[in-house]
Amino acid sequence: MTEEKIKPVGAEELAKEFKEHSVAEFFKKNKQMLGLYGKVRTLTTVIHEYVSNSLDACEESNILPDIEVKIDELGSEYYEVTVKDNGPGLTEATVGKALGQLLAGTKFHRMMQMRGQQGIGSAGCTMLSQTTTGNPTKVITGTGKSKPISLKISIDPKHNSPKITDLKKIDKEFRGLAIQAKFKDVLYRDSEQGPLEYLRRTAIANPHAQIKFRDPEGKSYNFKRTLNKIPKPPKEVKPHPKGITVDELITLSKYTKSRNVNSFLKKDFDRMGNKGLEEVAKRTSFDLKKDPKQMSWHESEEIVKAFREIDFIAPTLDALSPIGEAQIKGSLESIVHPEFLTVNTRKPQVYAGGFPFQIEIAIAYGGNAGRQISSGEMRMEIMRFANRAPLLFDQGNCAITKAVHSVDWKRYGLRDLETAPLTILVNFISVHIPYTGAGKQAIADEDEVMEEVRLALMQSGRKTGMYISRKRKEKEKQMKREMFYKYIPEVAGALSRITKKNEEKLKNQLEKLVLEKLKLEEAKDAAEMEAEEVKNGSLDEQEKEETKENKKKSKKKKGAEE
Amino acid sequence: MAAAEKKSRKRDKTTETPKEIAKRIEQSAGSIVKEIETKKDPTFVTQQRGKSNVEFDEKKGLLRLGDKETERNFLNIGHARKFMQTMLVSSKTRDYLKENKTASIREIYYELKHTLGTSKENTFEDQGESDGCIVDLEHSVDTIREKLNLHANPKGTLYGDVTLRDKVHNNDIFNALKLGRGGWSIMSRIEPDEIEIKKVNAKYVLVIETAAMYERLIEEGFAKKQKAILVGTGGQAARGTRRLVHRLHTEAKLPVIVFTDGDPYGWYIYSVIKQGSMALAAHSDYLACPEAKYVGMTLDDVKEYGLENVTERMKDGDIKRAKEMMAYPWFQNKEWQEQLKKALTQKIRIEQQALANKSLEFVATEYLPKKIKKKQFLP
Repeated sequence: MTEEKIKPVGAEELAKEFKEHSVAEFFKKNKQMLGLYGKVRTLTTVIHEYVSNSLDACEESNILPDIEVKIDELGSEYYEVTVKDNGPGLTEATVGKALGQLLAGTKFHRMMQMRGQQGIGSAGCTMLSQTTTGNPTKVITGTGKSKPISLKISIDPKHNSPKITDLKKIDKEFRGLAIQAKFKDVLYRDSEQGPLEYLRRTAIANPHAQIKFRDPEGKSYNFKRTLNKIPKPPKEVKPHPKGITVDELITLSKYTKSRNVNSFLKKDFDRMGNKGLEEVAKRTSFDLKKDPKQMSWHESEEIVKAFREIDFIAPTLDALSPIGEAQIKGSLESIVHPEFLTVNTRKPQVYAGGFPFQIEIAIAYGGNAGRQISSGEMRMEIMRFANRAPLLFDQGNCAITKAVHSVDWKRYGLRDLETAPLTILVNFISVHIPYTGAGKQAIADEDEVMEEVRLALMQSGRKTGMYISRKRKEKEKQMKREMFYKYIPEVAGALSRITKKNEEKLKNQLEKLVLEKLKLEEAKDAAEMEAEEVKNGSLDEQEKEETKENKKKSKKKKGAEE
Repeated sequence: MAAAEKKSRKRDKTTETPKEIAKRIEQSAGSIVKEIETKKDPTFVTQQRGKSNVEFDEKKGLLRLGDKETERNFLNIGHARKFMQTMLVSSKTRDYLKENKTASIREIYYELKHTLGTSKENTFEDQGESDGCIVDLEHSVDTIREKLNLHANPKGTLYGDVTLRDKVHNNDIFNALKLGRGGWSIMSRIEPDEIEIKKVNAKYVLVIETAAMYERLIEEGFAKKQKAILVGTGGQAARGTRRLVHRLHTEAKLPVIVFTDGDPYGWYIYSVIKQGSMALAAHSDYLACPEAKYVGMTLDDVKEYGLENVTERMKDGDIKRAKEMMAYPWFQNKEWQEQLKKALTQKIRIEQQALANKSLEFVATEYLPKKIKKKQFLP
């Protein structure tokens, strides 16, 4: 799958290719690659494009998002989608580029964490609507400053340029963007891959957003805002030296404005200072004053080797915008109502390529956690997110799924993971997500990513396990009490018949004895539990070791396959 | 509940009145109530049963229960159910004693069995559970089951010139030689205050394992000819049967001779008659006959009487049993070790009825009279 991975350069090439072919041709050719296959998946992707654009736009303008989504069934496999937000809106000048020109606002080479990195973009939806139904997309938009406008937009496939018709000014107060488009050959399903689940997960990952949804049957859902704070917008960052590969270093060197390697390294890399340069100089055999564009593969190798040996400060966090522990807690509590919830935000790490990434994880147990399948049974669910955007497809190929299944959950009291009432949320945050393919629904199992997700899962898993064992003990206690209480009337009755003592009084006395005994046992359990928690610190180390072991094993396996 | 004082073993358990025993049940219940009132874990103490607390009294030649006691605490999750059951049995037994009623151990089981509250659990799931509680109670109040007005199902038959009086049934007086071919069915309660041994006209008691052999000997007129009292056990001897053999031995001073199949199971039946059983080790004084002798079958008989063609192979269970018995202290004598060793090496067994291979009457006219006359016994 790695050859499909989209790298910054890949995007540039895509744009180049784009100029050479007609848009329609490109679209047809790349429909599959863009995730537009499968009737259910296509409809979900459309919702995703609109909603994630709304969320991004609101965040950039510091607005708490209010998003309304409506899907109406117009016929067999024929739907109309309406998405309305309260964002900054589009001007007459920008609306064409946003909705009427494919790949106009590509963010591929910006080292910034953005939802819009994925998929086909809103313009892709315009194109899809147009090719499946022949209809233009209806838009109403207002910036709050001038009067809102309504218009119809389509794409001129020959020139990849917007075609706007029916442009009107409206005499109503409105700020935001409302899009309405029709799609054929798509299908609405209330499944794990359907729009409802997509919106539910989006709401969980975006506690600052309010999302309302009306499905084709007229059923309404309201995912309420649980946080009145807009997340800090991410900044662009340079790659961290620790994670860069030779090939990537060469690529970057071709694009740099610097005239010598020294300044290229200093300016284009994160955490690279004079001291770092000195260290690189010590470890390399060529003159660092040379033009970076002239740097050979071998020289590039020397630098990468030096990077590996030198200590650098951890990558800057500015580019990453995690949801936050409190926020995840708030939204999961409001939407999943779990019995137990643990959230864990890990420290940022770097994966191959120098890209900082961060893992946020939550495990919700009990309540509405897990997913009820049609037979009524419960199934564990993994909610995968990349930069807060839910990943609904390609579950099996994803590093997150693989990491979940690599953990020995039995150790945490979960004998059968698949049927546990469990929601595992993993948010992978990075300026660049290593997707396995252009469909952008699965994260590649890079070693660093797997290790980090595993560690996070084990930490949260242990906490969940402790809750489960506490709960089991509580249940045992209750069973014990019930058992004693079942025997007490018999014992009291028999003793009363023999000794003529008052039966009720004996019963009460025995019940008191039982309760006192169970209380003592509980105190003992609590002390044991506390000791267990103290032990946790040292367990972290152990888990790290285990993860390393696992890595070694998988490497060995890979070797064997080769 | 305090354990019954160990010294009390010397007390004659057979002469105690129901009132005295009821009082002891009341005392132990009283001390449990006191524990409840002083917020202590209610505890029922009884003697530990089973092999680990059985000793062999070499001097007297019988099994005894050791001094090990066992506690049953209501607040212990593993004991609570058994504790509850013991209380039910105590209370019901006391009722029997007060009302002067007797019941079989199956009857008390059914009388006490009911569902607990709204659960699916019963006070007793099977008779084994209540039987265990009865033995515990016997030990705890230091008496024998018969004195608790409880008895097991009768098993065992008596045939021979012995005159008995049934004090609780119209004072019937009868001679066990004149009750037809089946003889008298031995009651499970055989205490002197119920059954009196009036007159005995015999030289010894012959205890026989199988009903078929018992019938054979009656048909051959063995009891009359040999002046023997025949007791058929029908397998392992029931408590009443053992008690009657013990009384014939002690009261009528009759020697006891045991005749079983020649296999570990049969030999163990003999040892229970002679030294007592592990389950009722506490009552050996009332049940065992340490002077009893074993007439056969032995593995030596096979050669002696040319029975090689009618032996059977020992089963796995027999082999296991023989190995266990070899280790029992009361089988530690030359003769029995030899028998068991032979059994284990030859892996054969010989049934009583295999003697019919010679002729039907052979056992009554040759085998038994000769062996008994010559005192060809195993100890």
